[in-house]
Amino acid sequence: MIKLIDVHKYYGDTHVLKGINLDVEKGDFISITGSSGSGKSTLLNLIGGMDRPDRGSILVAGEDISSYKDEQLTLYRRERIGFIFQFFNLLPNITVFENVQMPLLLNSLEEEDRVSEYIKRVGLAGKEASYPYQLSGGEQQRVAVARALIHDPEIILADEPIGSLDSRTGIIIMDLIKQLAEETHKAVILVTHEHYLSNYAKREIKIKDGVLLQ
Amino acid sequence: MISLKLIRLFILKNIRNEKFLTVLSIVGVALGIGLFIGVKVASDRALASFESDIRGLSQNTDYEVLDISGIDFNEHIYRDILDIEGNSYPILRVNGYLSAIQESISINGIDTVKAARLVQPAGRKAYDIEDFYKNLSSILITKGLSDKYSIKKGDIIECLVYDKKYSLKIAGILDSKTLPADAVIMDIGNFQEYFNRTGYLSRIDLTADEKTSREIRRILPPNLSIERKEELLKNRESVVTSFRYNLQFISLIAILVGIFLLYNTVFISVVKRRTEIGVLRGLGAGQKTVVTLFLVQGLIVGFVGSMLGIAVGQIAAYFSVLAVERTISTMYSTISISEYLITKGDALSALALGLLVSLIASAIPSYEASKIRPNESLKEGTFESKYKSCRKPFVFAGLSLILSGVVVSCLDYRYAPFDFPFLAYMGILFIILGFTLISPFYLSVILRIARKPAGRIFKATGRITFGDMKGNIYRFSVALMSVAISSALIIALLTLIFSFRHSLASWINRNIAADVYIKPASCTSNFCFYPLSDEVISLVKSFPEVAGVDKFRTLHLELFGRKVVAGFGDIAVQREFTRAGRNGERNRGLEYGKQVSISNYLSTKYGLKKGDVIALQTPEGKEKFTINDTFSSYSTTSGFIYMDRKWLREYWGLDDATQLAVYLKEGVDTGRFIQGLKQALSGKYALEIMNNNNLRKKVITIFNKTFSITYAIELISILVSLIGVLNTLLALVIERKREISIIRYLGGSWDQIKQMLVLSAGIVGIAGIVLGTVMGFLISVIFIQVINKISFGWEIHFKIPFLYLSIVVLVLFLTTLSAGLLPAKVARKIDPMRFISFE
Ligand SMILES: Nc1ncnc2c1ncn2[C@@H]1O[C@H](COP(=O)(O)OP(=O)(O)O)[C@@H](O)[C@H]1O
Ligand SMILES: [Mg+2]
Repeated sequence: MIKLIDVHKYYGDTHVLKGINLDVEKGDFISITGSSGSGKSTLLNLIGGMDRPDRGSILVAGEDISSYKDEQLTLYRRERIGFIFQFFNLLPNITVFENVQMPLLLNSLEEEDRVSEYIKRVGLAGKEASYPYQLSGGEQQRVAVARALIHDPEIILADEPIGSLDSRTGIIIMDLIKQLAEETHKAVILVTHEHYLSNYAKREIKIKDGVLLQ
Repeated sequence: MISLKLIRLFILKNIRNEKFLTVLSIVGVALGIGLFIGVKVASDRALASFESDIRGLSQNTDYEVLDISGIDFNEHIYRDILDIEGNSYPILRVNGYLSAIQESISINGIDTVKAARLVQPAGRKAYDIEDFYKNLSSILITKGLSDKYSIKKGDIIECLVYDKKYSLKIAGILDSKTLPADAVIMDIGNFQEYFNRTGYLSRIDLTADEKTSREIRRILPPNLSIERKEELLKNRESVVTSFRYNLQFISLIAILVGIFLLYNTVFISVVKRRTEIGVLRGLGAGQKTVVTLFLVQGLIVGFVGSMLGIAVGQIAAYFSVLAVERTISTMYSTISISEYLITKGDALSALALGLLVSLIASAIPSYEASKIRPNESLKEGTFESKYKSCRKPFVFAGLSLILSGVVVSCLDYRYAPFDFPFLAYMGILFIILGFTLISPFYLSVILRIARKPAGRIFKATGRITFGDMKGNIYRFSVALMSVAISSALIIALLTLIFSFRHSLASWINRNIAADVYIKPASCTSNFCFYPLSDEVISLVKSFPEVAGVDKFRTLHLELFGRKVVAGFGDIAVQREFTRAGRNGERNRGLEYGKQVSISNYLSTKYGLKKGDVIALQTPEGKEKFTINDTFSSYSTTSGFIYMDRKWLREYWGLDDATQLAVYLKEGVDTGRFIQGLKQALSGKYALEIMNNNNLRKKVITIFNKTFSITYAIELISILVSLIGVLNTLLALVIERKREISIIRYLGGSWDQIKQMLVLSAGIVGIAGIVLGTVMGFLISVIFIQVINKISFGWEIHFKIPFLYLSIVVLVLFLTTLSAGLLPAKVARKIDPMRFISFE
């Protein structure tokens, strides 16, 4: 489904990704572990169409998204990608319900029943009208999980999803992600510096200094 | 298309969070748009009133025969014209003043049989035909006038006409949409008899084609001309133009400040919501969506602001109409504007302007927003660092702009290529823009200089504040510029007003030198065109206390196709009785050759100098006069030519006077003399008799009244720019909520935070005022030397009101400081938890 071929990325003079090759299949659960600064987020951003590689290609369903124009990338993110970040990145001024609904709105859909259903599925029923700052970290991340799934993307990209949660909450969130991803047959790419999380993955890949160690 | 829900979630909810900023920018936009539209309405209505004045009585006539000097002429020509064109209507008119209701009217004697369709009654029993023809004093008034002052059929009103008081009987009310509200109709025969104007006409209206008009021109004596109504209208319009543009420019400044406020508000949203925008982009929002969202934010503010602006505009229109009416009436000729309601069209154009303005204001920040990358995070370069490299080019561009502003204004000063000082106004905008570009560099220099002493005085707070300001130079420069612009405006306008008053006072000293001044009470303008009765003049002369009488006469005159005012005075009398005349300071040698003095306005406009020769159209044909001198005239802004009375006799065949300046013998009690004079004239004549002192006071009052609207508009502009100061300082706090929260977490007390905010406001205030002073000085020179000279031709000597200015500057500084306190209040409301937990 996704194929990275010899992907390179530079930030100025720093060579961050040095020839990444990777295959992701439908229903895959891949964990990419590595120390801080090894290029995990950069890689995830490339796959998620947040940024473009400087060299190499990223094939998604046979098309090279590295040659996509900005508008095409936007569309790609909007329809195929669900993101989960370390710092939740919820929009602060709108409610839980509206945060979850946001990807649908961007796709010109409303589907309120579906929104309610997903909120229930992440265990936040009753908190629809709360604002993000009224929630705990774990609850906020649940909102983010619901938001990542609501528009039925093909790939979930999770960048240190539990990096700012305590370990007990972290495990609960990870279980939730795994469970929902399996139920909905999503491919998941999980990026983390904590090795024990690789237990969740079907495949574990290590990254060091911008190179993947299979 | 983006959904309404998205707009609601991302924009409307946020507007609610930035209530105060949003309200400020709404008010800013509303004031700017309101002023602009108010002034537009006022000048539009003035033009409409000119138009109905010129066309009013006979809507579809297209030519008019009139005297070239603007006086009444012998009616016998009417017979000859009638032979050529049957569709001609004689009119005799005069301005009257209803002292009881302080309203000017224009009394029109018309051939009511010929123009019967003009005198349609309002309703069946609206008037009494018999009475109208039989009773000499019968008049018909408009429904407008009747409604406004509840004057009914059968009422008798007192009216000042020429130099007497008359009773007029209301014979009926007219229902006419085309008649100006202040028009009063009389039968022409009655008019001539009642006001003792038998044998005279003021004009003849004609429905004719080119060919006929040429035929008529051939039979006209040299004192008469036939003119197209369109031409007359254009001529009149030019009277309002400079007045209009000047007011409109000032309201343009208010709009600019409004744009600035709006820009600031949207910009703050963008800067503050960088991460959010990044998240939205990450979720798949395209650049267009982001641009649209922020444009919509601007448009919402613009829309609400414009709607409010229409209400403000209605109020502004009311006052501007009063002011325009007063100014035109005193400076040019009496007009009466009865309409001041904003029309649907005006409201629509206000709305369109408001939306346009808000689009312009939000375009740049929206574009900035769309450039935010999907994975934007705090470590990405911020706005500040992105523009750091631009500082040098900014300084360079700024200096060039200031320079070109000065050059452009100088060009306007030297060559005045347009009727209106467009170049000078452009120069002012350039200068403001130039200073804006320089301001970041300027602020960084100030910070470098003040850093050490501030660190010593304010300790840690000082160091943190300076570091903070250095890191946010661009944001702080914006605040600095709003202080600078408002202080520059205040300084420039105060200097202008102060210098003007000073020059006016010395002009009054030089020119109002006689002991007693007499003019018809019906005349409310600076210049009167209806002569005083001979009896009045001889009566005044017969008083033993009188040493000399300067008989003054004004006429209209055409110079280079424009109507100007010509004044004829008795130079010999002036020479004998005034110090200025004796010393030869005034009108020196004017009584000798064929010479004239012209006002500075004319010399600027047509590039005329001392020694040049101009040809003036007189009833005797074109006559050449040499320009003896140029002088500054405050009584008119459309050009004034002054010459000795003997030319009036020689070329115009007139020896009458419209105003008298009386010199009394040494030791005579002026008060008692006036008392005696009034007694001798009472019952028969209605005159305005003033002693020297009263006239001086009156002139100053007239000027104050005339300029009250300008002052008001300026005041509002200044107010709006102060709102701008508040807005930017507040924006700074909102934008740095996070930093403030961190400082709190690190153990900073509220007092320290307040100190920091007030300290930065103080630095911004002082630096802004200093910059504003430089800018204000430059602008005031342009105001006085270029704009004023081109639009009004008034000679104003530059004079800086040091005392006023230092008070104002102090007030401004305190305002800025307190503008630092208000955000401190907002800062206090910041919940550190909420803001930290979010990034
Ligand atoms: N926007 C950026 N500009 C410059 N350097 C960057 C940027 N983003 C990441 N880097 C650098 O790229 C390297 C990898 O970063 P990142 O992918 O965030 O690592 P990780 O997520 O594995 O901790 C780091 O050395 C980081 O400093
Ligand atoms: Mg990372």
